[in-house]
Amino acid sequence: MGQAEWATVPISTRDTKGPLFFTEHEWATVEAATARIIPTDHHPGAREAGVVRFIDRMLAGTQFVFPAADGKGFLRMEGLEEQAWQERIESRRTFYRDGIIELDAIAADAFGADFLNLTEDQQDAVLERISRKEKPTKFVFAESDGQGSGGAPAGNQPVNEDFLEFFPLLVLNTRQGFYGDPVYGGNDNRLGWRVIGFPGPPSLAATMDGSYTTLEYMIPEAEWPYEQHPAVLRYGDR
Amino acid sequence: MTTLKNPEPVDVVIVGAGAGGATAAKVLTEAGLRVVGLERGPWLKPEHASGDELKFLNRNFIWQDPKLKPRTYRQNDSEEAVVTNFSATPQVVGGGTTHWGGMVPRMTENDFRLRSLHGDVEGASLVDWPITYDDLEPYYTRVEWEFGTSGLGGANRWEGRRSRDYPTKPAPLSQIGRKFATAMDKMGHSTFPMPQGMVTEPYRGRTPFSENGFWQQYPDPGTGKSSTLISFIPDAVHTGLYDLRSDCYVSEVLVDKTGKATGVRYQDEHGNEFVQNAKAVIVCGGGIETPRLLLMSTSALFPDGLGNGSGQVGKNATFHQYSFSVGLFDRALHDPLYGWSGHYMNLCSFDFYETDESRGHILGSLIFPSMLGHPVNWSFPGRPTWGQAAKDADRDLFNYSMKIGILLHDLPVESNRVDLDPNVKDAWGLPVARITHTPHANDFAQEKWQVKKNGEILEAAGASKVVPVNMERITGNTSHELGTVRMGNDPATSVVDKWCRSHEVPNLYVFDASFFPTATGINPALTIMANAWRCADRIIAVDRHGWTD
Repeated sequence: MGQAEWATVPISTRDTKGPLFFTEHEWATVEAATARIIPTDHHPGAREAGVVRFIDRMLAGTQFVFPAADGKGFLRMEGLEEQAWQERIESRRTFYRDGIIELDAIAADAFGADFLNLTEDQQDAVLERISRKEKPTKFVFAESDGQGSGGAPAGNQPVNEDFLEFFPLLVLNTRQGFYGDPVYGGNDNRLGWRVIGFPGPPSLAATMDGSYTTLEYMIPEAEWPYEQHPAVLRYGDR
Repeated sequence: MTTLKNPEPVDVVIVGAGAGGATAAKVLTEAGLRVVGLERGPWLKPEHASGDELKFLNRNFIWQDPKLKPRTYRQNDSEEAVVTNFSATPQVVGGGTTHWGGMVPRMTENDFRLRSLHGDVEGASLVDWPITYDDLEPYYTRVEWEFGTSGLGGANRWEGRRSRDYPTKPAPLSQIGRKFATAMDKMGHSTFPMPQGMVTEPYRGRTPFSENGFWQQYPDPGTGKSSTLISFIPDAVHTGLYDLRSDCYVSEVLVDKTGKATGVRYQDEHGNEFVQNAKAVIVCGGGIETPRLLLMSTSALFPDGLGNGSGQVGKNATFHQYSFSVGLFDRALHDPLYGWSGHYMNLCSFDFYETDESRGHILGSLIFPSMLGHPVNWSFPGRPTWGQAAKDADRDLFNYSMKIGILLHDLPVESNRVDLDPNVKDAWGLPVARITHTPHANDFAQEKWQVKKNGEILEAAGASKVVPVNMERITGNTSHELGTVRMGNDPATSVVDKWCRSHEVPNLYVFDASFFPTATGINPALTIMANAWRCADRIIAVDRHGWTD
């Protein structure tokens, strides 16, 4: 069965409440780490979005790799692609298991407790040590290029996470859980999108039937040449 | 590995069903030839597509899985090549036209005669094309109308003679398009609507794109985006003469004792091996897989690879590196840009396309504004990666950012090439493509100058901060793979003739972008399709006289 014929299995990342892969301690530790990566402020953060569930489901096996296009279930992978993902998930499991042990070891060494039981500032200090970099500081227009390594923006290529170390992988997965489609188990109630002002589709199905559109954010009545067109001039920058 | 009964011989076997392969299939079957198409990847349908960022950007749903289909890259011969996902391009029915943004500008007249214009450039293998703009013009028009495009004929004043307008009107303007148009106008430069492979009005039973924002890198669940998957392949299938077999991996082009191609060897998804015989073979695997297949096809007559007597197969590779400047806008001063609205990019300009020696380099590229990506992959160099600073940056800048990009018009260099990696094998045990590439000094100069210029445009648009993203090396980030099976009149310095037919094997053709003698500064798909149509017409004419000239 080639990729085009993979069957849809009617399962959801939310069928089970707790962990499918992590132990309770691992679940709580990863949840605490994601909450420092995307913290809660006057808006919800990774904890409220259920990012730890996203990561747990990613590690649970190949049954949660590819949602059906309309989001109603997941594709049952087969053949070489399934084997490749088995291997990929296996190596990520090791990364996470070892990474959590390392977080606790650094926490014990520096503060005499598990990562989970530290204060937020102490947890940040552990993340600084594991990332071998200082915690990123606020982006300011006026200053020269910051210390962060946000990486180049998405160009025209797939974004590969196979070669990342534990901490950058955790950061990327946290981002994926916060901003990815809710079907994957994170981004509860699409709140990740709301935090940054991305309308996002109400469901994957709404991107298929033409009902979800962003036309209202465009200037469809403008005609070429654009620069002096009344529809364009209507948008004066304040 | 069992050998089952081989399928019946046909007139033409086409390896690949992307831009080139599908166009050839349509033209040949509509002329009454029997064609078999063999495509490595799956035959996904529009109903496999939806606006799922993780699936299409992070999890390789339509891109080759690098674990199964690796490639290797090195800068020069003294290095050991490393495994990378170089120039990932969807290996599916429809090929690169499934994920693309659908930019379909035409080449300019000068693009066809760079050697006449610039002479011998040191360190480069600059040549003229053996055809002219006028040879291709009728086919450009045919593809624009048959395939389905949108744009405004005459709006690009650098374009050559055009015999017909676009079939559908330009795509709607977005906020980033407005920013670009007004800033360019302020600087005395011109812009025009990007010609796109999309229909913006009901056209031949197709409905316009919903403008849901999931465009570049996303296959289309509807019929708005033009791809060979929904246009030329159904046309060919409709004739009853096109047998397209997906999930079939061709490993060798076969030849007889007289040096004529007899067909191809391939295996289906179950590992069953077959030979498909045909009167002619057209290879359309893209600029990396095509030379790889020719080099894997060795025989007593062709010990160095099929049609490689000149030693030129795989040489002169160019890759159109995409570089850009990022502009970040202060939300206290500007309206939101909503970069995710519409269809990835908007408008373009050819004002910097033609050579201007005063810039200190030759050639140029089209430039165009675009979004920085959807929420997961939205980023810019220097973006804080975690903690409160990261959350603030996402919240403050996600809707207040854009980029202006270039497609590097890179110079061909003979030693920049694709060959077979001596050590690395794919999941089927076959040697993978190895890319050896160092950009020419002119590439760096052109890229640096244009990225800086794009930054100035963003400043004119009111950006509070500009972040240039320059090329360090070639990464294949455009999926444009060009020049590795060069078209030319001289068999000593090229691989195929002006009809894209092998100089050495009279019934072997290459119709993907491998044939490009020079890179051009535009997206290649329209030119691939127009040229495939032109050369397929030639095959039809020749066929009626028994496969001889």
